[in-house]
Amino acid sequence: MCDTRWIALYDTPLEVGTSFAFLQTPDAGGIDMFAGTTRQWTGSKETIWLEYDCYRPMALKEIERLADEACRRWPIKRLLVHHRLGVVPLAEVSVIIGVATPHRSDAFAACRFLIDTLKQQVPIWKREFFADGTEEWIEGPKPPDITV
Amino acid sequence: MATLRILLFSVLKQRMGEGVLYIEMPMPTTGAALLDQVAMDYPAFADYRGVVRIAVNHEYVSEDCVVDVEDEVALITPVSGG
Repeated sequence: MCDTRWIALYDTPLEVGTSFAFLQTPDAGGIDMFAGTTRQWTGSKETIWLEYDCYRPMALKEIERLADEACRRWPIKRLLVHHRLGVVPLAEVSVIIGVATPHRSDAFAACRFLIDTLKQQVPIWKREFFADGTEEWIEGPKPPDITV
Repeated sequence: MATLRILLFSVLKQRMGEGVLYIEMPMPTTGAALLDQVAMDYPAFADYRGVVRIAVNHEYVSEDCVVDVEDEVALITPVSGG
């Protein structure tokens, strides 16, 4: 399937530079990386930090399954999915998706597929803590698909 | 009767006050019967009955799936990672 992949969950800050270095290979002509970060403002509501909960063994298995699907669809040479758990302060990175493919259109498509399906399928949840002292577990717009 | 262990996360863990439920019911059972039993034992679950997915041994399964005591069972509300 993919030549090489690196899928991991961390309780510490994610390393963008190390992730990019992993994706570099002479087999690829394009690398796409997406980083999700903690946003301060959603409309008029001010977030002060996020906290992530995770069903770890299932999350890893589900990410592997999505990576298998991405590798079936696109000629991926390197693939990386890293998610941070616990508290993620403002502007810091909670998720990194990276793919390396021979040509750029496949890299864009595969990267988008991986982040979109991660947000729909992988058992990780964010809790937003607001400046007004309230907090809320965020629920996605719809339940995960049973078969993808 | 047997005791089935069910893992909870995020909002369900918060609303139901614990991360693990122990449900007494005849085994093996189905996903649907298991959800009915949880709803009966924990009224707070009613709000989530329609949107929850059952995971058995780290995979999403349909509600007609057979569940037995040695399975690792979790209830998954709509996820929000990323």
